[in-house]
Amino acid sequence: MERRNFFKITSLAGGGLLLSTYLPLACTSTEVPNIDWEPNFFIRINSDNTVTFICSQSELGQGTSTGLAMVAADELGVSMDKLKVEFGQGSTERYGDVQDTGGSNGLRIVWPSLREAMATTRALLVAAAAQKWQIDVDECYCEDGHIHRKDQEGQKLAFGEVLEIASTLPAPREIKLKEPSEFRYIGKSVLGPKTKMAAKGTTPYSINKKLPNMLYAAIARCPVWEGSLTSFDATEALKVPGVVEVLEVEPTELQTTDYKGGVRPGVAVLANSTWAAFEGKKALKIEWEMGKNGLKSSATIQQELADNYKTPSKANINLNDATTLFGRSSKVFSAVYDAPFQANACMEPLNATAYHRGHKVEVWSGTQAPQLTRDRVAELTGLPVAAVTVNNPPSGGGFGRRYFCDFVEEAVILSEKVRVPVKVTWSREDTFLTSKYHPITKDYWQASLDANNYPIAIKYRGSIGRPGAYRCYPYSIPIAFYDYLKYKDGWLLPRASWRSVYAHPWGLGLESFMDELAQNANEDPLQFRIKMLENAEVVEQKELPWVGDDLYPAKLKNTLEMVAEKANWDTTNDGIYQGVSAMGYNTSYVAMVADISVENNQVKVHKVTAVIDCGLAVNPSQVKAQIEGSIMWGLSATLKDGITVEQGHVQQSNYDTYDLMRITDAPDIEVHIVESNDTPSGTGEVGVPGVAPAILNAVYAATGKRIRQLPITASLLESAVS
Amino acid sequence: MINGELLEVDAHDNMPLLWALRDVLDMTGTKYGCGKGLCGACTVHVDGEAVRSCTIPISALEGKEITTIEGSAVNPILEKVQDAWYVTDVPQCGYCQSGQMMSAAALLAKNSNPSQDAIHSAMNGNLCRCGTYVRIRKAIRAAADNLDQNAN
Ligand code: FES
Ligand code: FES
Repeated sequence: MERRNFFKITSLAGGGLLLSTYLPLACTSTEVPNIDWEPNFFIRINSDNTVTFICSQSELGQGTSTGLAMVAADELGVSMDKLKVEFGQGSTERYGDVQDTGGSNGLRIVWPSLREAMATTRALLVAAAAQKWQIDVDECYCEDGHIHRKDQEGQKLAFGEVLEIASTLPAPREIKLKEPSEFRYIGKSVLGPKTKMAAKGTTPYSINKKLPNMLYAAIARCPVWEGSLTSFDATEALKVPGVVEVLEVEPTELQTTDYKGGVRPGVAVLANSTWAAFEGKKALKIEWEMGKNGLKSSATIQQELADNYKTPSKANINLNDATTLFGRSSKVFSAVYDAPFQANACMEPLNATAYHRGHKVEVWSGTQAPQLTRDRVAELTGLPVAAVTVNNPPSGGGFGRRYFCDFVEEAVILSEKVRVPVKVTWSREDTFLTSKYHPITKDYWQASLDANNYPIAIKYRGSIGRPGAYRCYPYSIPIAFYDYLKYKDGWLLPRASWRSVYAHPWGLGLESFMDELAQNANEDPLQFRIKMLENAEVVEQKELPWVGDDLYPAKLKNTLEMVAEKANWDTTNDGIYQGVSAMGYNTSYVAMVADISVENNQVKVHKVTAVIDCGLAVNPSQVKAQIEGSIMWGLSATLKDGITVEQGHVQQSNYDTYDLMRITDAPDIEVHIVESNDTPSGTGEVGVPGVAPAILNAVYAATGKRIRQLPITASLLESAVS
Repeated sequence: MINGELLEVDAHDNMPLLWALRDVLDMTGTKYGCGKGLCGACTVHVDGEAVRSCTIPISALEGKEITTIEGSAVNPILEKVQDAWYVTDVPQCGYCQSGQMMSAAALLAKNSNPSQDAIHSAMNGNLCRCGTYVRIRKAIRAAADNLDQNAN
């Protein structure tokens, strides 16, 4: 996923967040004043000793709110079970430009600034207590929401007791971060408030929002992308009990950064309950003009990509002079890998509530991009950004789709018309039929081989991305990246990010191709990878600083060696076959081995063993959960249907036709974490791209059939030749 | 009766229980996922059976006893299930989990020591896009063990 200006941001984030954050206190009462002290925008301490952590990043289930709260608790010196967690609003003024959550960046980006902010707060509290006790600051420390005296055991002051002084002190010139040995939570599997809420069913998702006079909206959208509304008849819809009003929704243009815009033309039914709105929508009579996309299908797009491959292309990135080396041998091995469109299918359907009051707008919506959404709402309404509030409660899954704000735009457009709060809820069908999607892909790989069938150089030409787009290529075989393949004219379906974004087709190609190269060279696929990593150089990521760090082949090699041991690589021969993959994503690394069997052309996955290096694992239980979930996600994309398009219409409308992994299909999963004290790095996506190739490689081991297309259906496997 | 309380719902007869709970009674623990009985997010108990509230109109429920995720105070098994879900760190986004826990509680009420197959057949109608299945299996076993200990 493309990030905006991340470099500027990260350098600013260090101390920039602490500026202008001291709130003036206006307390003249002689009683203990009720102080709400906000020394920075992450924390609020009240004189009743409540400490509230304000989570700036979006909680989508990946556990960011818990991870960050643990960092805050440790650096400040409060206990986790006393720390309240609130979810912040979209705000560049408060959080700089780092708030939007994507590319598994949450913890990685906020970690340094959050620690500094908390260490500063701690220093102020300690200084205030020291002043009260008239002793040196070095004689005090923070723990459990109190400042303690080192010289007199048991002597302590609660945070609340020193706020009056603390809030008047100047920011300390120097702060000291805690040493890892002082961490009480970081590095442990801590159960956070988000888990507690979810286990009670009380998570405040935006789909639960209810406001006085709120109308519930359902929208019938044009089923073909870039089609238009010809006419509609609302007579029957208006007869449905509970329906209040029917309104046309004018489309918004897809913006150059396609996170914004792309509201489809539609007809909205506003009612006094979600159900009435859904029923009203069913009763609408609508004529659409389908436009040019009404003639196209998935197959058309695959053909367009294949045709585009025939157009000459130039190498945009040419590592270690790959193109020259490539020309030295006439022996070339080629493979093409195909993957279909995909839907995010988050369990909480897209929804947003908006209240346009003329001079200001307030939005409640689980979004991954509260800042981008706020800017967009300002753009749409013509109001200043300061007049727009975006509340960002936890979401029932995001996976990239909630980085795009079309669903919020719809609620704002409708509330602007009716001037009462409007909650737009997408039906499940809407989320499949008229959404934004992970694009269809076709990736071309070629290797020139020497006399012993060893690869000399690789050429890659894929279909999502732009020249220079980040690809995590760790091996020592020289590689050249060519122009990306294009469609003839525009999208058939609008694009959304999807868990791991471009890394999924990239991983499918790279890690299948590495297996094929090993097979050509008559080598064990796991050992072959290790060999190809042995002399690989560190890849500098200076062109894409949001990636966070350089790419270290040695780390990936280490995960491979570990997974070989943990999964008993190659020692089993009991009807269970293994496939391996190794992937990096930003600054995390995962190697995995899949154990499968094939019976009647059905692939059964018994177990997946994975090893992750994500730097310091702040919360190991959550790190493992992310990898478990990513594996399940990858398996759905490998073994289940995907999205197909016929005559512009998506063919999958609900979970019956877009099936996902269910508990019966779920393999055992074992996740091991590499011990590390490096800066924590993302874990939400790195586990996805290696899944499809690990399975396909195992299928090859089991059947001798090389499948280069997703999903692997029984009929595909049956018709394939070994 | 919902969670032991006699409630009257002012809504259209055909309104599915799901929407009556969520939009009329403000009991938002029960979730909308698919509206077609395909995902299990809306699972509640009607007279002890796990059912999909998105497909039952309220008119069919007169005199029935309904338990929702909010009903752990009146349903000790559900309470144990919720505890097991918490300590096993099952939920990710959590959206599917009300339904998962309701299905699990109904299973454990009938079968306090379910085999893997029994767990699978009781839980297969509950989708989780976050992919928490491995931990769901673990949590059901933990809840079963816990119930077992209590019984002894
Ligand atoms: S919402 Fe009822 S089963 Fe999906
Ligand atoms: S926890 Fe997110 S869908 Fe199950």
